[in-house]
Amino acid sequence: MTRALLGMTRYDVRDRVLAEQICRACVDGLDVHGAAISLLTGSPSRETLWASDPTAELLEDLQFTLNEGACMQAASTGSPVLVPNLNDSTDAQRWPVFAAAVAEQTDALALFALPLQWGTINLGVLDLYRRTPGGLSGDQWRDAISAADVAALMMLGVRTEPGDGDAHGDGDGWLDPASSARAEVHQATGMVLVQLDVGAEVALARMRAHAFVEQRLLIDVARDVVSRKLRFTDDMA
Amino acid sequence: MSRAVSGREQLVSRAFIGLADTLVDDYDMIELLDRLVGYSAELLAADAAGIVLGDAKGTLRVVASSSEDAELMELLQLQNDEGPCLECYHTATPVSVPDLDDAARRWPGFTAAVRARGAFRSVHALPLRLRQESIGALNLFHSRPGPLPEVDLALGQALADVATIGILQERAIRQGEVVNEQLQTALNSRVVIEQAKGVIAERAGLPMDVAFDRLRRYARSSSQKLSDVARSLVERDLDPDLMLTATRASPPALPRRPGTPTR
Repeated sequence: MTRALLGMTRYDVRDRVLAEQICRACVDGLDVHGAAISLLTGSPSRETLWASDPTAELLEDLQFTLNEGACMQAASTGSPVLVPNLNDSTDAQRWPVFAAAVAEQTDALALFALPLQWGTINLGVLDLYRRTPGGLSGDQWRDAISAADVAALMMLGVRTEPGDGDAHGDGDGWLDPASSARAEVHQATGMVLVQLDVGAEVALARMRAHAFVEQRLLIDVARDVVSRKLRFTDDMA
Repeated sequence: MSRAVSGREQLVSRAFIGLADTLVDDYDMIELLDRLVGYSAELLAADAAGIVLGDAKGTLRVVASSSEDAELMELLQLQNDEGPCLECYHTATPVSVPDLDDAARRWPGFTAAVRARGAFRSVHALPLRLRQESIGALNLFHSRPGPLPEVDLALGQALADVATIGILQERAIRQGEVVNEQLQTALNSRVVIEQAKGVIAERAGLPMDVAFDRLRRYARSSSQKLSDVARSLVERDLDPDLMLTATRASPPALPRRPGTPTR
């Protein structure tokens, strides 16, 4: 499943195309009936990037219209929201209007909202639904979270892509979770965002750009930042 | 001898009271784990300690450690391939290495790495148990060889159990979904905290462990969750200078590492 996602080419990808590929891979590889990815950061820019079918689309629309729902909660808390049975009153109580609308207007009975999260950066929410109630099994959960992790890496990767976007492969090691998830990368992000007075995403983009120009791995650039051998300034390459 | 006993009892009480504080509403999981690792090291006379949690794929990730020492991180992290932590996580039973010299055949890579660092002679791993399985492990490193006495083993396991409960919360044990949600949240929280450490370290020219200490102190003194403070710093809603000024009055200054800017 993860291999299928990583095998996708990264060049010339825009958020929407990437969202489509991720959703399709989820519907094919996970045991769900549909998937959608939405952006929820900031109220004016709420939108569905891609939905696999009308039900998936409607689930997103309902949340935007009603201003509540599993997907919203996942985005605002940064935690997954897993609803194995939408008819279960305990769960439904969290968003009563949304739950009622879903019951009336769709055939979805189980919902799993996974935020695509990188620390404080929310890149969207991956929503999966099923027409039958029931939770995700251990394996399915593993696959779903892997999909969300890889999706978050890829979407953030696209946004912080160094160079001209031409396929140079994973030049800075970004797509290798073992490298990109290292504490030094996060610590360096924090340091660079202060150095440049920018947000975390831009700080990361700048580090990746530097790695690209210098033909180095991101993790090595991060280590140099943390050990104070390297400082970022506005007039750097 | 009675003084030694009562001294330890006090430590134990303090540890459990401190941990209990974190189990009320709005508690912060990373803070709980951070305190736990500190208490474990102190109570069990360990020279270093770390807590690893298994993510959805079963990869062990470090969520708390008694020091920022990069080499300690490595020793915790490389146990994804082999080592007492990995075995402990898989078997959900304590795994002890009273003398590293005896462990070379069992875990050659791990033993070599510990030897290279030169500081530890014995290692113990206690499981964070959930029924028949484990969600992670508490790893203790000692500079002297020797087994963990029964009493220490029991105490260590009790601390690990408190950690597990803190992570999962009682009702979560009944609902698999909440377990997954909370574990995933903990792992993501760690990212934010590492970023916040970077913000503070850069702003004040401090080493990472001191930066973390200031973060923690500010969270406690302002009655906020550690994760919330970290998030505010990274999102730049909280001015790091404000936070640093508020925590300036401190216990004796830590010695600066050579080469660290003194700004």
